Amino acid sequence: MSSHLVEVDSAKRFNDMKTPPINPSLGIFPKSWSEESAGRVPGNIPIWVGILSELTEFALFFVAYFIAKFYYPDIFSQGPQNLHTSLGVANTIVLLTSSYFMAKAMSFIRINDKVKCEGYLWLAFSCGCIYLIIKTWEFHWNTLQGFSANTNEFFTVYYYMTFNHFIHVGWASCAILWVIFRLRRGAYSAQENSGLEALAVYWHMIDLMWILIFPLVYVLR
Amino acid sequence: MKAIKLIKVMGKLEWFLAALIAITLLNTFLGEQFSSTTLVCILIALTVTYKGFIVIDHFMELKHANKNLRFLMKCYFVIFPSLIIVSAFY
Repeated sequence: MSSHLVEVDSAKRFNDMKTPPINPSLGIFPKSWSEESAGRVPGNIPIWVGILSELTEFALFFVAYFIAKFYYPDIFSQGPQNLHTSLGVANTIVLLTSSYFMAKAMSFIRINDKVKCEGYLWLAFSCGCIYLIIKTWEFHWNTLQGFSANTNEFFTVYYYMTFNHFIHVGWASCAILWVIFRLRRGAYSAQENSGLEALAVYWHMIDLMWILIFPLVYVLR
Repeated sequence: MKAIKLIKVMGKLEWFLAALIAITLLNTFLGEQFSSTTLVCILIALTVTYKGFIVIDHFMELKHANKNLRFLMKCYFVIFPSLIIVSAFY
């Protein structure tokens, strides 16, 4: 009798395994969070776990900035005046434009125009490279002026935030190359483009972080 | 004439990009020309929120996507610009 129950139970579990879960979000979220109730998740769930983790990391930097500014208001008032503001503005425009190119790439893959999609991905990649070059030049310029992460509290926070962001742009640019490679191999189409979309939302997240960093370190005095 | 033609062919995304760049330049002008008074800080914080919302809704395309993710992202761009305003009173 008991062996019969075990067989029924294992058969039920086997059937459960064959049936895909209703909630594709690994079943760890409430049902109200499922795509059926809350709406489509752009890209995929893992990239959003990554994005929310990155947002938390940058949130800690921003909190550190505001705490440091509270304790050293004079240093944070003078700090931005020592930076090369034009380079900060140039990088902001470059990143905003790269986000536009990424959005265009997404719009072209949805109509299966892979040539234009790839063209816009190359443009986004170029923007990433231009950003990295400008930022490297800015760090070099700071060094020539005698500024480093040890100069004062403002520069410590500045280097923490901007160097961290620099690394993110670097690896996301490498990810664009990987996506271009996959696009050429036929991995994306109008019907299936979640990998490309995952990169796009990640790239926009990096742009969003710069939108917050820019006024904090270059504009507010 | 060329400028008028360009404006006519500009789509929604192009307008948003132009708005984002214009706001960036405005913010820089405010920061460079005026010392950070409370009013300037409030203006900058509001424009940062607006820029964030444009990217979240139209570039990230969360406007018609998952409402919880959109809510979380928008919260981020309300909380930190609010701290900019708070920091103006230090």
